[in-house]
Amino acid sequence: MELQYNNEHGRNDQIVSQFLLKTLHIVLESRVPSLRPPPSPPRSSSFVKKSDKWFNLALGDRPTAFTFAHRDPMIIDIILVQEMGQNQSGYGALVETVIERWAVQYEYSRASQSQSSESYKKTYKKSIILLRSLYSMMRLLPAYRAYRTKAKGKPCDFDITYKVSSFSVPFTRSEEQVMKLYTFFPVEAQHGHLSVSVKYRESLSDFNLETSATFPPEIITDYVGSPATDPFRAFPPVPQRPHSWTSGGPFTKNQSPPAYHSSSGRFDLSYSPSPSYDVYSQRTRQQSHHSFDDSPPFSPSPPMYLSSGGNYIQSRLRSETAPVSIPNPLFTRHLSPNLSDPNRHSLPPLSPRSTRYEPSSHESSPAIRSLKKSEMARVGDLSSASGSGSANHYSSSHKVSRDNKDDSGRFSGLLSSSGSPRIGFSRSSSRLSLQDELDDIDFSCPFIVDDVDTCDFPVSDVAFDSQSGAGGKQGKKSQDAAVGALVRMLRTAPPLRQDSSCCSDHVEAQSNASGLFMSRKTSDALEELKAYTGIKHLILSKSKDTL
Amino acid sequence: MNCEVCQLKELDVEYFEIREVLRCILHTVFFHRALGLVRPKDIHLELFEITYVQCGDAELEKKVDEKIDQFIDRVEKHPNKKNQICLSFFEVKNKQATWFTHKVERLYWEQWYINLNVAQHPKPHSGKSHHSKLTVHPGESASDERNARRAALESSLHEVLFQIIKFVNEKKDHIPPIPNKEGVSFPYEITISSSSDSAFGMDMIKRMLQTGHPTMLS
Repeated sequence: MELQYNNEHGRNDQIVSQFLLKTLHIVLESRVPSLRPPPSPPRSSSFVKKSDKWFNLALGDRPTAFTFAHRDPMIIDIILVQEMGQNQSGYGALVETVIERWAVQYEYSRASQSQSSESYKKTYKKSIILLRSLYSMMRLLPAYRAYRTKAKGKPCDFDITYKVSSFSVPFTRSEEQVMKLYTFFPVEAQHGHLSVSVKYRESLSDFNLETSATFPPEIITDYVGSPATDPFRAFPPVPQRPHSWTSGGPFTKNQSPPAYHSSSGRFDLSYSPSPSYDVYSQRTRQQSHHSFDDSPPFSPSPPMYLSSGGNYIQSRLRSETAPVSIPNPLFTRHLSPNLSDPNRHSLPPLSPRSTRYEPSSHESSPAIRSLKKSEMARVGDLSSASGSGSANHYSSSHKVSRDNKDDSGRFSGLLSSSGSPRIGFSRSSSRLSLQDELDDIDFSCPFIVDDVDTCDFPVSDVAFDSQSGAGGKQGKKSQDAAVGALVRMLRTAPPLRQDSSCCSDHVEAQSNASGLFMSRKTSDALEELKAYTGIKHLILSKSKDTL
Repeated sequence: MNCEVCQLKELDVEYFEIREVLRCILHTVFFHRALGLVRPKDIHLELFEITYVQCGDAELEKKVDEKIDQFIDRVEKHPNKKNQICLSFFEVKNKQATWFTHKVERLYWEQWYINLNVAQHPKPHSGKSHHSKLTVHPGESASDERNARRAALESSLHEVLFQIIKFVNEKKDHIPPIPNKEGVSFPYEITISSSSDSAFGMDMIKRMLQTGHPTMLS
């Protein structure tokens, strides 16, 4: 009898010590990313480590072994470390906050001696359940979200560490107020019971545990889906085609690349009865403020084009027309990422005037270029609310067509007011078309729309308001100012020539191969000049009619 | 030995959320009741900011998915009803055959009732709504409502998971000895029923005949 008692007592002690180790393993493995071992190759199910067999929970390699006196409680503090402010040396003071305190204890009491000769079996079975509950609970508490953010390996402005001891400094009253207590149901053992409890912060929102904005955003190259199938999904913009009048890059000196605000919020998605899972995976890709430089040169699917792209003439025309209410679906425009576009480099150089800094055009462009997250969400809702035809609804009612085919025009605009004629220009290297019918206009400037019937659209849909737009003066300028600007530009335009100096060697070789840089005759230039003169006279006569 | 019953909090879900919600709840229960050797597997929900644990048993995952498919088919055929999934754990006992019982008897020792209220698919707004002269975008309030509903469901699902943990912690004495095999330790069955469903009532009567009382075991 004595031998049996000693044997059971030994087994009980073993269960208790292994329980403490397993608890520590579970807590640290799901809170401290630095302690998590690298994923080992999957072993056969027959091979099981001794430590994994304990409590039928295979967790892999244990953290550094600790030795405990069974009678002492094991206190595990999970500590959030953040850099706050900056001292003279330029480094911030590290602030440590206990976000969780786990207390694991074998509470010894002589009175609760078990009667059963095999009580350790019951203790063991109940310990299995308690450890399963602990394992699940670890993933439901707020600190797990911080752990996951850190474990992803993204740059973070916080760290998670821990402290294991048999006693702890009590929380202050203010700390105690924000902590919540959860106590697991204790497991009866031979001379007492095993208990696990946790004090945790209900919310970690005060700590702002997002990835640090000081680091450059991560580039995601594996974009899923296509704007053709989901026209309102936000894709990072791609660089514009380098034109012959720019210095290789997509922007001139005074033009900044448009910011891309990704819509990565979990609830931004419009309802779909059976959504594909990739839609929701945006949640784990918290990206914001991409610039052109961050996005891949060309993605396999045609990207969304959310900005005016820095075209001087377009921004000039935009800034000198009265502000109009713009329906949301017109924000989307597809650019063909075709590198072998024959019209890519065959455009004439821009007038020297264009390089001059103009505050009006520069100020208004960012407001037009950037799309707010909320507006994108509204566009998504609009599409889901009205069915598949909603994207074309505005286009048809306002007779605005988009240029999906010919992006090669040096300028392609729409000058209109309620009383003036509507003339569309679409010019490629070898042709000039003049269209009188609005329905037939090739419309490659997605933000310039007819300003009639603007009251039909809600105020919230206006792409840029008077504050973020071109300022008070711009709104008051007449339509004739735009015509005048165009006439001035036509007058001062230099003769047509092929300037290949700004193109890269690679593109030049490609272009030469396709015969893009063929010399042009003077007669061709003369014909174009005559055509320009004709347009000029037409514009002048039309503008006189409207006065 | 008692048959413990846990009625989980009712959840209002939309059709496309059913699979994730059921997987999450069922696997959480199984993880606490598969007391053989398991290699836990963390699963991060796509629709919600919630992580649950699976046993890492491929056979169990397959069976759970099959039952969820059945449930979804049922919801499609009978919309607008409160739906219930019952996960029952039992022991198999050999018993002398009588005129109304089988030779093999199932002794149910635990039952979990998962209650789902599946919302109908919302009908899309007519195109005319886009011409409304209100300053508020017609889709905006719907979006806010949807976001609020999604957040509420996430919170409710979180509560249900806490409810499961609380229940398994408090009720341990009724669990039979652990069989020496990996993965799912105890025999189980998953039954599907909906409100005004006669099959569910028949199932309860059948169990009463087998076990004497739905909440007690002989």
